[in-house]
Amino acid sequence: MEYVGAGLMTVGLLFMVVAAVGMVRLPDVYTRAHAVALTDSLGAVFLLAGLAAQQGFSPNALRILVVLSLLYILNPVIAHATIRAARRSGLRPWTREKP
Amino acid sequence: MNAAHSNTLPLRTLALFVLWLLLSESYTLGHMAIGFAAALSVAFWNSSYLSRSEYQVRWVQAFAYLPWLFGRILASGAHLSYLILHPKLPIDPKMIHHRPRLSSETALVILGNSITLTPGTITLEASSDELVVHAMDDESTMDVVNLRLENKISGLFVRRASRQ
Repeated sequence: MEYVGAGLMTVGLLFMVVAAVGMVRLPDVYTRAHAVALTDSLGAVFLLAGLAAQQGFSPNALRILVVLSLLYILNPVIAHATIRAARRSGLRPWTREKP
Repeated sequence: MNAAHSNTLPLRTLALFVLWLLLSESYTLGHMAIGFAAALSVAFWNSSYLSRSEYQVRWVQAFAYLPWLFGRILASGAHLSYLILHPKLPIDPKMIHHRPRLSSETALVILGNSITLTPGTITLEASSDELVVHAMDDESTMDVVNLRLENKISGLFVRRASRQ
């Protein structure tokens, strides 16, 4: 269980590193929001699942699962609100020039 | 608060109270009293947000939907990671306008949430006649455009037998 947890957490961290790279490389708010969403929907999930696996079957593991499900309900709402605000304030999305 | 909602008030209070008990580690009388008061007031003040829906959830399909969605999230997460790490950054961001064919509001919320959860697509605007989705490239939009996601979600609900 210890190693399973460590493996899951490593995967989660890899996704977070990719998201951080994306924050730097991507051109505008909209595309960067995608990178941030990667942290939520995959990075945090694997991290929390790893923590739960290390706890084994216990109340703590159950608590982590509750947090995880709340994360899955709330995070899309926040991402949506942020990017909707960006659009309403008139930011134009970056697009690739068509040749 | 109308009659239909006051029926479920004890049930909703109980659900929130169980959540409180699960998350708080202390089971002293004082803390449990605070928890109960909080659960009751949250359940009470949110009553007006409940809508009596004419649709019923099909639970088997609903539980099967979650692992399926996670599979899609993994696949598109891998694709988005590839796009971000590729030296040439081969992204092609675009807005797509999608006309959902879902009739219930709950299903629409689930669709919007699922689209945003899936890496590479974010719901910008959601209403019953149009979804505006920002996507990273053509491949990310596939599940929305070919209606795969939408068909799955419409399978989660079944219309209640009408009582007229």
